[in-house]
Amino acid sequence: MAQESRGGGRRPLMQMAAIAVVASALGVALGLLIEWFPSQASTQASTIDTLYNVLIITSVPIFVLVTAVIGFCVWRFRVRPGEEDEDGPPIHGNTRLEIVWTAVPAIMLVALCTYAFLALQDIEEAQADEQRIQVIAQQYAWSFEYPNPMGGDPIRSEELYLVEDEPVLFDITALDVIHSFWVPAFRMKRDAVPGLTTQLRVTPNRLGTYPVVCAELCGLGHAFMRQNANVLTRQDFDAWMAEQVKAAGGGGAPAGEEEGGEAAAPESAG
Amino acid sequence: MTMKLRAPGWYRAVLYVGLGVLFSLALITVARLGYGLDPVVDGRSWLLVSLLAVPLFFLGGLGAFDTWFHWAAGRPTRPDDHSQHGATSWRSYFAINTDHKVIGIQYVVTSFSFMFIGGAVAMLMRAELAQPGSQLVDGQTFNGLFSVHAALLIFLFIIPVFAGLANYVLPLMIGAPDMAFPRLNALSYWMLPVAGVMMLASFLVGPFASGWTAYAPLSTTQPVGQMFFTIGVQFAGASSIATALNFLVTIITMRAPGMSFFRMPLLVWANFSTSLLVVIATPFIAASQFFVLLDYALGFNFFQAGANGDVLMYQHVFWFYSHPAVYIMMLPGFGIVSEIIAVKSRKPIFGYRMMAFSLLAIVVLGFTVWAHHMFTSGMQDWIRIPMMVTTAIIAVPTGIKIFSWLATLWRGVLHVDTPMLFALGFLTMFTLGGISGVALAMLPFVIHVSDSYFIVAHLHYVLFGGSLFTVYAGVYYWFPKMTGRMYDETLGRLHFWVTFVAFNITFAPMHIVGVQGMPRRVSDYAEQFANWNLIISLASFVLGLSTLVFVYNMVSSWVGGPRAPANPWRALTLEWQVSSPPPIFNFDAVPTVVGGPYEYGVPGAVHGVFKDGGAEVAPPKPTTPSVAQ
Amino acid sequence: MEAAGALAHDHDHDDAGHHHGPPPANRSSRVDPQMLGMLLFIISEVMVFGAFFTAYFFIRVVQGAEWPAAGTELPVAIAGVNTAILLSSSLTLHWALVSIKNEDRNGFRAGILLTTLLGATFLFVQINEYVHVGFAPQDHAQGTIFYGLTGLHGAHVAIGLLLLLSVTIRAFRGHYSAKEHAGVEIPGIYWHFVDVMWIVVYATIYIL
Ligand code: HEA
Ligand code: HEA
Ligand code: CUA
Ligand SMILES: [Cu+2]
Repeated sequence: MAQESRGGGRRPLMQMAAIAVVASALGVALGLLIEWFPSQASTQASTIDTLYNVLIITSVPIFVLVTAVIGFCVWRFRVRPGEEDEDGPPIHGNTRLEIVWTAVPAIMLVALCTYAFLALQDIEEAQADEQRIQVIAQQYAWSFEYPNPMGGDPIRSEELYLVEDEPVLFDITALDVIHSFWVPAFRMKRDAVPGLTTQLRVTPNRLGTYPVVCAELCGLGHAFMRQNANVLTRQDFDAWMAEQVKAAGGGGAPAGEEEGGEAAAPESAG
Repeated sequence: MTMKLRAPGWYRAVLYVGLGVLFSLALITVARLGYGLDPVVDGRSWLLVSLLAVPLFFLGGLGAFDTWFHWAAGRPTRPDDHSQHGATSWRSYFAINTDHKVIGIQYVVTSFSFMFIGGAVAMLMRAELAQPGSQLVDGQTFNGLFSVHAALLIFLFIIPVFAGLANYVLPLMIGAPDMAFPRLNALSYWMLPVAGVMMLASFLVGPFASGWTAYAPLSTTQPVGQMFFTIGVQFAGASSIATALNFLVTIITMRAPGMSFFRMPLLVWANFSTSLLVVIATPFIAASQFFVLLDYALGFNFFQAGANGDVLMYQHVFWFYSHPAVYIMMLPGFGIVSEIIAVKSRKPIFGYRMMAFSLLAIVVLGFTVWAHHMFTSGMQDWIRIPMMVTTAIIAVPTGIKIFSWLATLWRGVLHVDTPMLFALGFLTMFTLGGISGVALAMLPFVIHVSDSYFIVAHLHYVLFGGSLFTVYAGVYYWFPKMTGRMYDETLGRLHFWVTFVAFNITFAPMHIVGVQGMPRRVSDYAEQFANWNLIISLASFVLGLSTLVFVYNMVSSWVGGPRAPANPWRALTLEWQVSSPPPIFNFDAVPTVVGGPYEYGVPGAVHGVFKDGGAEVAPPKPTTPSVAQ
Repeated sequence: MEAAGALAHDHDHDDAGHHHGPPPANRSSRVDPQMLGMLLFIISEVMVFGAFFTAYFFIRVVQGAEWPAAGTELPVAIAGVNTAILLSSSLTLHWALVSIKNEDRNGFRAGILLTTLLGATFLFVQINEYVHVGFAPQDHAQGTIFYGLTGLHGAHVAIGLLLLLSVTIRAFRGHYSAKEHAGVEIPGIYWHFVDVMWIVVYATIYIL
């Protein structure tokens, strides 16, 4: 009896579609309004943030669509007094519809993967004149080693110092268990694995001090394995480095190593 | 007394436990004497051997192996007197029982107990995390809390509770009198409390604290509590493999006449797929934990970088199980939801065959994506690309399922009661969790958020909003069948709404703090995350309290709820065609299946008929019960 | 094994006294349930070995560790003889099965006994090899893998032997007949699996 009012025909579909479109727009707007990210301090960061915004724009409508259909069905098709013994129409399927909802997500996903792949190449691309820094992880502290511009033992530091707009290549190792080198402001992370040297590229592009976080559970001090990354101007960095060199070698490097040092210095000092 | 000690049961079990401890001591002493080690009695080795041996002695004492020993000793075959089949009183639930219905209830109740413990542990965690800095526990204890939390909820709750629900309803659904191997079924069950008690017992020596993932070499250098996880997982894993074998053989060889594969209810399909995953994947976690055990206890070099060992190998082996495991924790839920949505919308499942095929597609694809948990691990860079693509593609078969459920709802006659509310809640929350999963597959993004709270958000949306919602839905749906009583509908709805709202306030903000840079598995965090964490903690306490509504409803309804009719939901599947609770051997005669399981709305459609003295009779015409509205 | 009702209970339930037994289950497949169970279990077992081979792969191929470790040698020839011993046990097992199918009880008993003895010999030679091989699992990852894989296999031989031993006991007590030999066949499949697995282990550890 109630078949008509229960929504044969196109009307509910149109209602549904209208609701879904409005809700999706609202959802996407909300998603983009949320302050998701910490400050952007590397060229990689902006690529990744853009990717995330694209993900929000594509995926929020999917979620909203699913939710809207459910809400709509509960509202329109909920059992009404007198219908307790009734059944719905015996629809077993619809091949065309099924092909659509297989193909459309598949195409979307392939497109997203392609985009993500390109973005990945972008953020991991090798740069000219990379400064190489050793990152050494152990329970529960980071240390960073810079090639000594005067030759000799590398300069060791508890804090990370980087130069604005100059690309860096980190060589990451661990002495005991697995740790993970993460600077949220750079959006980049890579595990430090005992027995391996892993690599990570970053081009910092904003002055400031940012947390370095250990992101892989490494034992009882894992939560406290945090230090700082400082992005400096070239002058400030050189001043810092000079100070370190002085502290390390008392100014004069051993005469025998002078020559090798000269050769190595320009490369790392850029 | 000696009679009691010789007959299978708790007295003998306690005796055997003592024997097991002594046996381990003897074994250790002999071995150490043989190798000339000093001291001859070493407490740690004794403990480790006991962890392995005592459970076996316990199970032996309880009587899990009696029949098999009987066979192995060459004694004459003994006719089965069914004395261990069926429940005669509450005591039957505390003994070896071969009735799948008893075992099903044992499973569900036991695993929910572990859920409450695991959840209570989460409450402690949230209390610690309510504010930055250390309040209640130190770093190592906190690591122990989330490790135990996850281990209990994954290995002793979600995986077994699905096995328990299926144990109860699956043989009924396919018209079988029991599972194929009832004694193996009993053994599967009893290995669970063993594993769970072992994991909890780790608190006596300091809980295991390397996460549920137990990455080497952290796990091989932890205090001895770690071994309670390593060995406990072996028992949970063995239990799950044995159950899976049982399901597969039951489904393949014991279906009622007329029940072809494409007339099976989707719950049966779902458990068929899950069991395939379990049989193929679970051996990998067993092996990974054996590696850890050998490195830890005997100084092997599987993961010792200094001796040519390979650290990342652990992760490959572990995730080759543990990614499929996430589908082990989801596919049975898909089955439950399919049953409920069809019945409560009074419509056939939309695209039945695609629903079945997409399950199989997920099984196959599930084995090709494991390294998406290792995107930042430092493995070979190129592996990441194929893994990203396969991971994303898994959304396609999953999407087919979601959209088919939506189409099933469309134009149905929706009975939105508690099971249906949880099923619909599942649809929305799982979709959200799945979509955040797809975002995680996108490499550049995951490089940032891997091991952050974004992951914690994803995993709770799929595991709580996905798996646990379907468990709740299934428990409410089959409660009348299992207990013979109706649950309280008002309390059920209250439970749903409080859970749904508190769940979202608890876990949605975790996406934001994750992207903002809060790492997971920390007892302390930067000041900037304090506000969100306070909100999360408060909401999580409400979420915890909502569970109490559920417990109260279940207990009080089981004791004093109104009697349930045989078929309160007017469902077609076979389990509803017998009394509530079903007779001791399920059917007086095996039914014959003559049509699909979801032919709602098809005039005159029947799924199964019972032959009665030669004349075929359709199941009694269901009447509208008072509770369904 | 025979009646349909035996699916869930391995006997005829006419003699079940006053107990009301279950209705006979329908047999929806021609495969014997116990055989199917064993085959599925073997899939699981193959995966256990698969995980150990993964470890082997990572250490030998991905890490590129020298194989065998510098200064050690694997007794390829002795292990080869041992391989022959294990393989012949598969033949004797087959002989036993064929015999019982023809009601030849003596052939059956001889075959099953011989199989058990050959299996035990294999295990003994294997243990002997451990004593003389000259390195320990604690020495390096190569040693770990060597002991890991051969030890895992040895454990399976031991389980197989326990099964065979039970079958032997029953054989000498006059169990089994031309009609009822599933109790031989099913443990037998397991034993054949253990043999085949050894060939893979032998090939990867000793020969390659
Ligand atoms: C029930 C458990 C479950 C399920 C079902 C899933 C499902 C998925 N998971 Fe999740 N996952 C976990 C449990 C689960 N996961 C856990 C526990 C962890 C953390 C482990 C740890 O480290 O402790 C984890 C971690 C995890 C990671 C690792 C992150 C990291 O640590 O760096 C990734 C990365 O790819 C991932 C991806 C996915 C994807 C793509 C799916 C897909 O299967 C989801 C598919 C579903 C949908 C997409 C929704 C429905 C589809 C549609 C409506 C169609 C249209 C959709 C689109 C076009 C997008 N998960
Ligand atoms: C099915 C799986 C499942 C479920 C249901 C839950 C449920 C919950 N989880 Fe869990 N969780 C995991 C699986 C699950 N979790 C996994 C796999 C991890 C990763 C671990 C790792 O990193 O290794 C994790 C990690 C994890 C973390 C991150 C820890 C970290 O990285 O530092 C947090 C933090 O808030 C958390 C919180 C919660 C909360 C509040 C609940 C709540 O929903 C719990 C609600 C239930 C109850 C509370 C129990 C019943 C109530 C009572 C007994 C009454 C007492 C009530 C009060 C005192 C109020 N979980
Ligand atoms: Cu280092 Cu965590
Ligand atoms: Cu995964």
